[in-house]
Amino acid sequence: MSYGTPPPPPGGPYGAPQAYGGQPAGPPPANNLVWAILTTLFCCLPLGVASIVFAAQVNGKWAAGDVAGANDSARKAKQFAMWGAIAGVVVIVLYIVLIAVIGIGASTNN
Amino acid sequence: MSIEVNAPAQPSLLRRGVVRFSATTLAAVAAAGVLATVDPNRPGHYPTCPFLWATGYYCPGCGSLRAAHDLLHGDLAGALHRNPLAVILLPTVLAAWVFWGLRLAGRTTWSPTNIRPGWIWGLFAVVMLYWVARNIPGWTWLSPA
Repeated sequence: MSYGTPPPPPGGPYGAPQAYGGQPAGPPPANNLVWAILTTLFCCLPLGVASIVFAAQVNGKWAAGDVAGANDSARKAKQFAMWGAIAGVVVIVLYIVLIAVIGIGASTNN
Repeated sequence: MSIEVNAPAQPSLLRRGVVRFSATTLAAVAAAGVLATVDPNRPGHYPTCPFLWATGYYCPGCGSLRAAHDLLHGDLAGALHRNPLAVILLPTVLAAWVFWGLRLAGRTTWSPTNIRPGWIWGLFAVVMLYWVARNIPGWTWLSPA
């Protein structure tokens, strides 16, 4: 788990400027938490749950001085939320196409 | 390296941020308009949740369309009945949208990235427990049915 007491600062393996306590200078990468929540609750796709996990990792890794790890988690949080949203939109579009072409909509329940 | 969205030295980034903010806002308003008029309680208006369709179990998002429809018509009790977690989290999403706008205006630097990891892990735990709890037979107060 990536919360709790941060481990001791690494010896600058990524060459990032080090501030106090091993936390790199500047703001951490955006954790995309809101997109994760939106995908979880409004796309009906569990991909959003994976996105929440990666969003949670961003700040912990950043505070531990792991710049590459924080950026990687932020990128994955974004990708999972995005793919969840895209899959949701694709399902809706396919559904509309199916209704228009075949007319199966009347038998399907929400 | 990360970039400060509201740094005055980055006018092109600020412009891109404003475009994204405006596009997101317009899309949300359009979605709310559709959801308010096209009733998700009527079958055939929207597709079934793919997870529910494939497994027969409710996911954490099931019922959120009907909950949002209820909220848009001022029915808070109905919305809480369909998906209480979505109703509870909606104000945090709206707050994040407000802070996004304030950041672009240079009024604050706070973003959801500042939320302590422990809280996000807590959210993850709540979502997982909610996922299980709303599928327990007899516990219909969390399920959208």
